[in-house]
Amino acid sequence: MNLKSKINNKPWPYWVGGIILAILNIILLFTTGSAWRISTSFLYAGVGILHKLGINVEDWYYFNVYNNGLDSGQTYFNNNIMLISVAIIIGALISVLFFSEFKFKNIKNKKQLFFGLAGGILMGYGTRLSFGCNIGAYFSAIPSFSLHGWVFGAFMFVGAWIGSKILFKYIL
Amino acid sequence: MAEYKLDCMFEACPIPLLKALKKLKKMKIGDVLIMQTDHNCSITNVIEWTKKQGHYIDYIEIGEGEWEIYIEKAK
Repeated sequence: MNLKSKINNKPWPYWVGGIILAILNIILLFTTGSAWRISTSFLYAGVGILHKLGINVEDWYYFNVYNNGLDSGQTYFNNNIMLISVAIIIGALISVLFFSEFKFKNIKNKKQLFFGLAGGILMGYGTRLSFGCNIGAYFSAIPSFSLHGWVFGAFMFVGAWIGSKILFKYIL
Repeated sequence: MAEYKLDCMFEACPIPLLKALKKLKKMKIGDVLIMQTDHNCSITNVIEWTKKQGHYIDYIEIGEGEWEIYIEKAK
């Protein structure tokens, strides 16, 4: 068995992935001064596009109450968070191409399209209310000894439990 | 002994596994479920779960990145 099939033969155990993610997050915190965030890059991408279209998002209530989190000299498309999110997509692409697993997937039907869009909107709205997704508000929060990570985690499991019951009973 | 088809093409985890779980509940012992999927995680998690439940399982690759999974309900 060569190295390539050795790496990819079986899914890696959770603890291996956990240790790798932890080490990478420590390196990221050490070099950039802030822990890993993901969903903020969706905010920046959306707001950045609206900004380019001439819509003045800075007037919105959200940005009056909360800082957009950008350092001086950074733009919506050029900042730490966007850079790492784009790098993750490129890294994942290189990895699937290397193992010959790249495939375009069709949209199955209108039902899948509808629930996909509805789920995406709910998730996006939720991340802005809680200032992060399971990365920024959970994965990065708990190792920083922040209580909000535990609160987020507890209610994420409640939500996932209710969601999977609804999915299994009514949607599938 | 009946045969059931389950179309799980273009569906991601955990939908294929949950669909199989729901379908298997309604099937009788000896019935066969044929799942079609293009999601390689299903090959891992559906097979792992089915073996744990004690059903018989086999799969083949029917096209590039497309598989058919055969599950025979054992109990």
